[in-house]
Amino acid sequence: MIRLTIDGQEIEVREGTMIADAAARLGIDIPVYCYHEALGPLGACRMCLVQVEKMPKLATACTTAVAEGMVVHTTGPQVDKGRKGVLEFLLINHPLDCPVCDKGGECFLQDYTFRYGPPQGRFQEPKIQKVKDGPISDLILIDQERCVLCQRCVRFMDEYVGEPELLLEGRGVETVVTTVEGRPAQSQFAGNVIDLCPVGALLAAPYHHKARPWNIEREESVCTLCPVGCTTLTTGRDGRIVRVEGRPVVDRNWGWLCDRGRFGFDFATHPSRLVNSRLHGREEAAARTTREIGQWLREVVAQEGGEAIAVVMGGLHTTEEAHQVYRFATEVLGTRRLVVSRDVPGYVPRGLNGTFEDLSAADAVILVGTDPYESAPVLHLRLRERLKNRRAPLTLMGVAPRNLSRSTLPVETLVTHVGQEADVLAAALKEAAGDHPAVAALLSQGAGIARGIDPTQVSQLSRVLREAERLVVVWDGVEPDVEHVLAALAQARQGQTTRVLPTFGPSNWRGFERAGFDARFDALTRVLEDARDGKIRMLILWGADLLKDYPDRRLVEQAYERVEWLLAEGVFVPEGAEHFDAVVPGAAPGEVYGTYVNMEARLQIASPSVNPPGQARPTKSYLTAWAHALGKPFVVDEEWDPYDDASGDLLPEEPLPQDIEAIRAPDLPEGGVELLVSAQVWANGIPSQILEARLEAAQIARISPLDADALGIREVGVIRVESAEGVLELPVRVDEHLTPGRLLVPLGVGALPVNRLRPGVVKVQRLEEVQTP
Amino acid sequence: MSQTYYLLRHREVPEIGQIAVYRAHGGYEALRKALSQYQPEELVDLVKRSGLRGRGGAGFPTGVKWGFLPKDGRPRYLVVNSDEAEPGTFKDRELIEHNPHQLIEGMIISSYAIRANEAYIYCRGEFLKGYEELSRAVQEAYQAGFLGENILDSGFSLDIFVYRGAGAYICGEESALLESLEGRRGNPRLKPPFPAVAGLYGMPTIVNNVETIANVPPIVTYGAEWYTSMGTEKSPGLKIMSVSGPVNRPGNYEIPLATPLRQLIEDYAGGLKEGRRLKCIIPGGSSVPLLTPDKLDTPLDYESILQAGSMLGSGGCIVLDESVCIVKASHRLVKFYREESCGKCTPCREGTYWMADVLERLEMGLGTQDDLAILTDVADNINGKCFCPLGDASIGFLVSAINHFRDEFEAHVREGRCPLGAKVYDTANY
Repeated sequence: MIRLTIDGQEIEVREGTMIADAAARLGIDIPVYCYHEALGPLGACRMCLVQVEKMPKLATACTTAVAEGMVVHTTGPQVDKGRKGVLEFLLINHPLDCPVCDKGGECFLQDYTFRYGPPQGRFQEPKIQKVKDGPISDLILIDQERCVLCQRCVRFMDEYVGEPELLLEGRGVETVVTTVEGRPAQSQFAGNVIDLCPVGALLAAPYHHKARPWNIEREESVCTLCPVGCTTLTTGRDGRIVRVEGRPVVDRNWGWLCDRGRFGFDFATHPSRLVNSRLHGREEAAARTTREIGQWLREVVAQEGGEAIAVVMGGLHTTEEAHQVYRFATEVLGTRRLVVSRDVPGYVPRGLNGTFEDLSAADAVILVGTDPYESAPVLHLRLRERLKNRRAPLTLMGVAPRNLSRSTLPVETLVTHVGQEADVLAAALKEAAGDHPAVAALLSQGAGIARGIDPTQVSQLSRVLREAERLVVVWDGVEPDVEHVLAALAQARQGQTTRVLPTFGPSNWRGFERAGFDARFDALTRVLEDARDGKIRMLILWGADLLKDYPDRRLVEQAYERVEWLLAEGVFVPEGAEHFDAVVPGAAPGEVYGTYVNMEARLQIASPSVNPPGQARPTKSYLTAWAHALGKPFVVDEEWDPYDDASGDLLPEEPLPQDIEAIRAPDLPEGGVELLVSAQVWANGIPSQILEARLEAAQIARISPLDADALGIREVGVIRVESAEGVLELPVRVDEHLTPGRLLVPLGVGALPVNRLRPGVVKVQRLEEVQTP
Repeated sequence: MSQTYYLLRHREVPEIGQIAVYRAHGGYEALRKALSQYQPEELVDLVKRSGLRGRGGAGFPTGVKWGFLPKDGRPRYLVVNSDEAEPGTFKDRELIEHNPHQLIEGMIISSYAIRANEAYIYCRGEFLKGYEELSRAVQEAYQAGFLGENILDSGFSLDIFVYRGAGAYICGEESALLESLEGRRGNPRLKPPFPAVAGLYGMPTIVNNVETIANVPPIVTYGAEWYTSMGTEKSPGLKIMSVSGPVNRPGNYEIPLATPLRQLIEDYAGGLKEGRRLKCIIPGGSSVPLLTPDKLDTPLDYESILQAGSMLGSGGCIVLDESVCIVKASHRLVKFYREESCGKCTPCREGTYWMADVLERLEMGLGTQDDLAILTDVADNINGKCFCPLGDASIGFLVSAINHFRDEFEAHVREGRCPLGAKVYDTANY
């Protein structure tokens, strides 16, 4: 530790700390543009000049490491003049078009000039003219005149993301930030440069000229489009959400977002947003619809009791809303058939659930099935940051039916058959700790064969399972037996840390579980089977869309057809609208206050910045009305608090699962093409007009170059996929990363109803090739 | 003036760039001696004892720099800085265009001394002839067995790569040079770590100027004592000075350090042309403050020049006579730095732009009294606040010009024109 004095205050910091960071710990504000802790020092902007005693010149606080006994002054005539000088320099070629700048009012150039800058400029010469409102992509604009050339954007894309799509061109005062060869920046992380830009140079195209800081509601919120649950600032204006920004949380996250979350906010104002109640397939006045539903509820409860009603929780609801539904269902209706909408069968017990801190501390990470770049993009950034930390090496392996390695994140992948992940993990576990009782129990039915997998790779994996001190498994939940392997793994690794991060949805499934719903896939299946078998008269979907999500579409159709009353609440009309007796419009994220639980089992609060549009109402409005219809008292408990005294903002800890279920070796497919599903944020079925082109491009199945060649498809085509369950026609494109013999279809896309088929071997035929320009 | 040349030896010999001619004049004998009679550490020690200082401008002791290399087994590189772009300096150009083998010989000896098996020459982009000569000479050296595996049966191997820059003054700064050599934008790097610890491709790297390396073979041949017998205790040895301006014999001159400036101008360069009167001298390339005629007797060594108010720098000695407008000269130099600023740090990027514009206005007779104060203050806001030395270099001449020739600046404002009748040429097309 190093002791130094800053502005008369003593502080002790770790060796290698920069003066700027040491000062920040003391609460001393040193202005910076180019420096960002996640990117490391650069020393370009010279804004952070401070005086260090015994140094002949002013020093930059962001590049000068602390030294024992150092005495630093962050104010004083010399420092003040230095800062004034730098700000005057920055302003001489700045257009000073603050009145029409989107950043006006939330700009560091304004703020620092106000605080440290000269009252008047002395520059009388003509300013350099550069490009204004030029494109970085269809979503990001650049005003090169406003740019202070801090390079944060360029370095973020190049060093942090590893997709170097931005660069500096020209030199000296003519230097500009631009894209490589003028090509639009396509990275899904490019939008972060808007937040990183300290001035008004990089702008969100959808927010361009939309609002000023004093006529917006900018609230702390959480992104609900994937289970990462990135912290955001949501800007509402005139009743519409117009902007989402990343929100850094000290010591927890940098505030990165993916562009899906940053620009996909407009689903709430999408033309297909449900804003009117629908009764028997027609739009109907909200009051009438609510009244009708109340009568149905009364009838069912009166005739057969509450257990004839089942509620499926899904969508983007808050934990509080789920709890209101739980209380309504148990106290007013009297049913315990309360389940969560699921699109994959896997489940992670709370006792195994890890956090992002576990990820940062991990010495080994195993990706099972999931490619975080597609399923949880900001997790990909976290893994990349972790991997780049040279002081603490990380072993990164994958077990999946496809190669998970990317140029930005190399992953040593054991490429399995579809449905073989659990068996391959079990084989490695057998080699690592075959004698452990939990492992023996797991393997008692003969699993752990890893047929067709290179034994040296299995040994490599087993070594990781045995030796890693802090292991984190990231899992997509597609292959349900993995849960049992993970439970046995955690048992066998007592003394070492084993934590799991689930990347499956719905994004707040753990919150629904906290509210009282059963999030296990089997519970949902039982409800659907009971519905099919006539044991349930009324099925209520609260945000859920089972035809779109549930893996067995046939079962859902049978259930829908059999139940007497089928109701849905949601932000969109669920698939199979003809089945529904009534659909009522619900509130979307950003329209209600509440908490969301992310893949860490962490509760995060979101405040609304707009009201629900049209007839859309928050959950409690409907529940109160229906309770009234049933003549039962029901007061929404606004005080219910999902937080636990002991566990902070994490859900209460639970012990490791003790009972180990034996798994069987899978029947492996012989030859043919294997159908493989995966959750992808860019193809999750939630619409967006801003992202329309990108979403459309992502809503496509993928095959390997080898298979495409065999089918006679160069880039894009349409194929016919046939299995025992039925036939599908799918648009398909070539994916360089995909292993031959696999057909990858994103989950939850209406146009790609992969739940008509079962994962496994399918027959594939080319229908046509689509010529791409 | 006749003298024995060491660095500029054989400058009268035609075809000295051919390896056969070079060898016929004793070429590669120093290499043979170094490889057969010295251990690498002994050579580092020899260079340390010779007191040789870097000839690129900063004057850092070469042997000491070599000693900074960490002994951790990582590969090491020697990089020769041949990006000579300092206005007024043209010594390296003669060395590489006329006698490339002496540089190659020096590189082999130096690489052996620092235990590098790969060496790079970063050649200024505009030096097409020098680049071609070097490339050819390197091939010749390979064919003669001076490069490649097991040189002269010493067990030492070396590969030399010649790289041509793309035309940026900033790439003469060693860390920007390394960035450019690695294929990136030529912007200076943050120091520490210094190149000796983490240089080319992150490996320990020594970056030396062409002239510095050219000094190594004579030091091996004649010994450290011979070298220290010239110059002063702190500035021993030989230096090539490039003299330009209205003198009778402009050109490169090899002098023992501490030779008086007057002797360089009057004896070596033949004095000013007839009818010209000395106004001032820039002794060390465009980055250093000027010296007025009363400093003509200053000995040309690092310490004396510093004491006189300037720097020896790269040895580019620019003579300005009374016909030169000091404002125009300042404008011309600041404009150079404006064009060559890489744009990385704010004061250099914006400050040079600002100063060049104000100076242009002054020269056109459109300046005000405030402009002088602004110029001085802008220069002060640049001074010591930039990322690399380029920013400070841009104000060296200007600040000294304002100090010594304030009247002339003020006359431009007072008279509303240039009193010397100079014009800002190419203003429409800068």
